Amino acid sequence: MPLIIKDEYPEKLFREDGKRLDGRDKNELRPIKMEVGVLENADGSAYLEWGNNKIYCAVYGPREVHPHHLAKPDRGILRVFYRMATFSVFERKRPAPGRREKEVSMVITDCLKPVLFLELYPGTSFEVFINVLDADGGTRCACVTVAALALADAGIPMRSLVTAVAIGKIDGELITDLSGIEDKAGEADLPCAMTWFNEELSLLQFDGKMDLDEFNESLGLAKEAISKIYEIQLNALKKKYIEIQEEYSGGEK
Amino acid sequence: MEDEKNEPNEEPTTDNSEDVDEFDDEEISRDLVVPGETLTEDTKTFLPGRGTIFNKDRTKIISLNIGLKQVKRNYINVIPLRGFYTPRPGDKVIALVTDKNPVKYICDINAKDRGILKPKNTVARGKPRGYRGGAPDRQDNSTEKYKIGDILIVKVLSADRLNKPELTTVGKYLGKRRDGLVITIDPPKIPRVIGRSGSMIKMLKDLTKSNIFVTQNGRIWLKGENLAHERLLIDAIRKIEKEAHTVGLTDRMSEYIENEKKIRGMN
Repeated sequence: MPLIIKDEYPEKLFREDGKRLDGRDKNELRPIKMEVGVLENADGSAYLEWGNNKIYCAVYGPREVHPHHLAKPDRGILRVFYRMATFSVFERKRPAPGRREKEVSMVITDCLKPVLFLELYPGTSFEVFINVLDADGGTRCACVTVAALALADAGIPMRSLVTAVAIGKIDGELITDLSGIEDKAGEADLPCAMTWFNEELSLLQFDGKMDLDEFNESLGLAKEAISKIYEIQLNALKKKYIEIQEEYSGGEK
Repeated sequence: MEDEKNEPNEEPTTDNSEDVDEFDDEEISRDLVVPGETLTEDTKTFLPGRGTIFNKDRTKIISLNIGLKQVKRNYINVIPLRGFYTPRPGDKVIALVTDKNPVKYICDINAKDRGILKPKNTVARGKPRGYRGGAPDRQDNSTEKYKIGDILIVKVLSADRLNKPELTTVGKYLGKRRDGLVITIDPPKIPRVIGRSGSMIKMLKDLTKSNIFVTQNGRIWLKGENLAHERLLIDAIRKIEKEAHTVGLTDRMSEYIENEKKIRGMN
């Protein structure tokens, strides 16, 4: 007997006590856990748990391009493969890459390209494989964050890490870090990513309705949230090495 | 036809001391930095060295790699902890013959491009070929000397960003390896396995009674007295790789090996 699930969303996305459905404040992030070097055979890898999102990322490169006709004689290429597992969403996702996955892959590629020195590696490719095992809103932001970590773990020279977060609007109020249900039932969705080289935006997408003041305010909110996530990113990258350092130098760095 | 003339018959030693002072114990601070991290905002006194860059407004010096911060005179460098091997002319590397055709061997040298070994670079020049006017030795024109799957120690003749690196097997210690083991570690950690002016490698050789040849592409050829010694050596190298960014590694490693010898009952 197939289980039939109706697409029903609650009318109000705020609870009576003023908190969001999952108990968060307006500008509270979901719990984030990051780890690097999780896959042994990849050149660099990272794992991210962001609320209910669970994402693995593997980086390979620089290496020869296959198919060969994609290679550029004057620069390297960055290829991102964003894929969702069949069991990552409520209704089984068909495993073939669809329109959405190709779009997100392209968006992440364009977001990560400015931080890499592709011109130093002509005729080669850097490949980023992102696998979403569990999805609950904001996967493209989470994927950008985890891909930057994996690239740094692979030892590929980068101008900076990239950090992303989504700002949304539900019931007329701006909120940080949308969950799945807020994304679908909310009024607006604004994923943005930032590089730390010159503190510039590297990704900005927008969907929904919002006036200009709200838009400016959301960018401020995004920057605030991104700084928090950046700290977690830094700690995740350094943790692996600092632990070993501390073990052999009597607690001091 | 096998030619034994160019095979390495001497004891192999490490011959790559250029990169030794990169991981100098005293001069490197133990500050761990990640890509995009600001190293200094004092751009008047300091200049970006290896692994670093100015930002757009030249107000900061920023790290490009995950690594250790090092200040050398007025240069700020970052010694990477992770990375890949980029071939440079003169490097001695361990190559694996992956393919061959009548004009060249194609070798995997653990870099982004596969290396090319031409038959003319596998025989020494300047020696009279042929025997008393007999038929000339045609070996320099055919790719019959090495088989697919052979392990070679080669020297990089030329390497740049655009072309595939060209290799040679003519020279001291170069040529085919018939015995021993090859292990691969992270290429940026190779200087640490060698140690300051070869101190670490000397210690490893003495304590485990083994022959080691460390190459810049992250591959290490080793051959011990017996299997137990080889195992101990591999464990030790893995430990060095893991703890490459800590201080006082050489002393700790000799302690570790002595300890392990007692535990494993070796003498």
